[in-house]
Amino acid sequence: MPNSAGKRFKPTKYIPVSTAATLLVGSTTLFFVFTCPWLTKAISPAVPVYNGLVFLFVLANFSMATFMDPGVYPRADEDEDKDDDFRAPLYKNVEIKGIQVRMKWCATCHFYRPPRCSHCSVCDNCVEDFDHHCPWVNNCIGRRNYRYFFLFLLSLSIHMVGVFSFGLLFVLHHRERLAALHTTVTLVVMCIAGLFFIPVMGLTGFHMVLVGRGRTTNEQVTGKFRGGVNPFTRGCCGNVEYVLCSPLAPRYTLDPRKKAHVKIQPPFIRPDLSDRQITIKVSDNGIHNTIIRSKSKSSLDGLDEKETQPPLPPKADRYNQLKNQLTSSEVESSLSGKTHPSTPAMYKYRPSFGTMPKVHYHTAGEKIVMADDLKTSAIMEEGVRGHDYRSEPNLDMPEYTNAPLHRTFQSSPLQLDSDPIGSRSLSLKQGHCRPEKSQLPALQPQAHTSTPYKSVFSPNTLSNRNGSLSYDSLLNPSVSPAAAAECMAHRAAPSRGFHSPYLPTKMCHIREPEMQRQQVTLTYSPVLPPRGMGRQSPHPRDRDPSPVRYDNLSQTIMASIQERKEIEEREKRQMLRGRSQTHIYAQDSGVFDGGYGLTHNACYPEGPRCPVSRGPTPPAYGGSRDNLMGVGLSYGQRTPVLRHAGSTLGRAPRTSSTSLHTDHSSSNSSHSRAPCPDGPYFSPSHQPRSPAMPRSPSYSHQKLSYISALERTDSPRLGGPREAMKVNGQMDCHPSAQGATLSPSRHSNVKKVTGVGGTTYEISV
Amino acid sequence: MAETHSLQDLRQQPAVAAKVFLQRDYTHGTMCQFQTKFPSELETRIDKQQFEETVRTLNNLYTEAEKLGSQSLIEGCLACLTAYTVFLCMETHYEKVLKKIAKFIQEQNDKIYAPRGLLLTDPIERGLRVIEVTIFEDRSLTR
Repeated sequence: MPNSAGKRFKPTKYIPVSTAATLLVGSTTLFFVFTCPWLTKAISPAVPVYNGLVFLFVLANFSMATFMDPGVYPRADEDEDKDDDFRAPLYKNVEIKGIQVRMKWCATCHFYRPPRCSHCSVCDNCVEDFDHHCPWVNNCIGRRNYRYFFLFLLSLSIHMVGVFSFGLLFVLHHRERLAALHTTVTLVVMCIAGLFFIPVMGLTGFHMVLVGRGRTTNEQVTGKFRGGVNPFTRGCCGNVEYVLCSPLAPRYTLDPRKKAHVKIQPPFIRPDLSDRQITIKVSDNGIHNTIIRSKSKSSLDGLDEKETQPPLPPKADRYNQLKNQLTSSEVESSLSGKTHPSTPAMYKYRPSFGTMPKVHYHTAGEKIVMADDLKTSAIMEEGVRGHDYRSEPNLDMPEYTNAPLHRTFQSSPLQLDSDPIGSRSLSLKQGHCRPEKSQLPALQPQAHTSTPYKSVFSPNTLSNRNGSLSYDSLLNPSVSPAAAAECMAHRAAPSRGFHSPYLPTKMCHIREPEMQRQQVTLTYSPVLPPRGMGRQSPHPRDRDPSPVRYDNLSQTIMASIQERKEIEEREKRQMLRGRSQTHIYAQDSGVFDGGYGLTHNACYPEGPRCPVSRGPTPPAYGGSRDNLMGVGLSYGQRTPVLRHAGSTLGRAPRTSSTSLHTDHSSSNSSHSRAPCPDGPYFSPSHQPRSPAMPRSPSYSHQKLSYISALERTDSPRLGGPREAMKVNGQMDCHPSAQGATLSPSRHSNVKKVTGVGGTTYEISV
Repeated sequence: MAETHSLQDLRQQPAVAAKVFLQRDYTHGTMCQFQTKFPSELETRIDKQQFEETVRTLNNLYTEAEKLGSQSLIEGCLACLTAYTVFLCMETHYEKVLKKIAKFIQEQNDKIYAPRGLLLTDPIERGLRVIEVTIFEDRSLTR
């Protein structure tokens, strides 16, 4: 039984081409034999010459259209498609001149069909610039032979017109002898020409329009560009020029030429890595998914290679790579198509943590300059150092103003804690002088866990990685809120050296005992950890419902969390009573500034949403939110805004405390969680207190908005972890598109875009 | 001795560690252009600049091959006039540039890529869809 490559001899498929050839040659021969002699005598010898030339042209083009390779793609090698075959999405989008074009996976040929390519079922081949399969020439019309087919149609039309006209001339001159042989034959020839006149002229006209528009028959018939823009057009003149004058495209199915043997023998030269400058660059200008898929294995291999180096620095390198990759590339989201094959383009619009998988595939777009060995060890400490910053009671505003740049990185899954880490990751080049060496030993024991990271980064674990960081912090609240945040840093850093915060929950729990051990040695001020926790909770949580995780916390943790909440509430109350609001808010704003990341898209609506009813706060928030949504340079701006809002809120709500309180209550009830009216320290227990305190609603409102912003921004405030917990568990105020309670505002930030292929993407603005 | 030498060669033939595929860049249409981004798998094997230079040169060569210039016009007219019999004796402009590309790739392989344990495959063998870069195992891990 012949396989698909060996075609069975089917006589039926040769009938049309035989008929066409017979009719063409036969009719023209009869014309030349019976009609042309008289025409030569009666009109001019140029007539048969002209007809002869035209007929020759018709034949040449007919032969070229019939026998020329239309541009058949050879089957892809096994190596090329081994990653694509089973896990590949059916379609892949590519942007051509700004227009999204869909490429379909060809199961027969094992590659994604290039644009304008189509698989011919008759020929069982993918053909470049596939026009149609023409039965009259028994061949596909594609890139290489479309010109000849078009010229064949043109010349055939001209030939038919000529034959018909001259035949008519002959018949008109021989009307009285219609029964004569010559006349009869001429009449027959005229009939044939007349019979095929309409179809051939119609087809010629159709293709003339196609050439002018720059479309193929396949595109016209399937309506690909109906009502849309054709990205392949070069303008009418350009299209005609392209069809008629472009150079003949090469054949792809040539026999493999004898390649000169290239001697490849180790040892191989390696690029100079003395300064450990490793740049990872990915540009997003083409087939994203294919690159990822085909390279997934290679990336793992590459990582394996790195592991042969001393354990500590490579992990740090990877950590940095991952961090930087994740943080800085929103563009890379498209590369994460492997984990979400059906909507590769969607990743572009997801919060930065969506770029997580890219790290795995080394497809991050940014250039990541990795610190040298000295720095990598510092990098390892970064997670640890997080608490250093956290332990600092004074939250420098400048530090947070720097955070915006780092915020983008913060939002990456590798964000371990508050800004300090983010800023550290960026400051790798700047040299780390952070003295937290004490923490490094704690990290080193986990060096051996470098290998497991691969399982972490397997393509389909993205969904499991949500909120691992925040959970880490939640898991260890016993030490302090700062400790919890620090624990996250610890977990992320030591357990894998660089693993992303998006580890599965199980891993968080696994690491919990480690972290608890480590936490004891750390001292953190209450201010810092919450920020970290708050920060991380939003974006990792995007995909997992927080209540689930919240329930997973151990009882001891819950107890300690509760204790801390109470402590903080008490402190807050004291602060509220004894100090100015401005001061508090200043602190809060500082905290907020520090904690805001870039993945607050979804959460952010909550912020403005909450304070909408609160008067002065919403406008400030809206403005600040817009700023925050940006690069984060507005962090500095936020501070005065927040302060102002805080101070004004302190004043304004007093007059409308009732309404605010109502709103607060309603929002609290709707969110099933009430941010503490006391400002940054929200606790459910505070709710009953709010009516009693005229000022508390205003605070609570403001805090509510802040908290919602906090959700996303890892604000390192005190009670941040609690807030985060609350948010996760109750308000569902996650930055991502979760949270039914926040759905109204969230919807406003999620756009649905329909791609070319009919796929609908959700883009969170 | 010659036999020994060839046996040594066979023994030392490195195994293929991985293959990297550089896809086409369709942002400017269906012109043959390849993506110049540097694959991460090669970062430990070759300089980024060098690799990108190679790909850029290839892109330029393909642009030259597909150019709608005077030469392609003359070729077309000549072909029409001779009923395309000219294709039997003469090679087209595109084919000439393809030969140039093949020579360039061979030269790059000999000078730059083979010493680094890499091998570029002429994209024409893959239908101008991908540039295949074969990464060979580096047995000498200690450097």
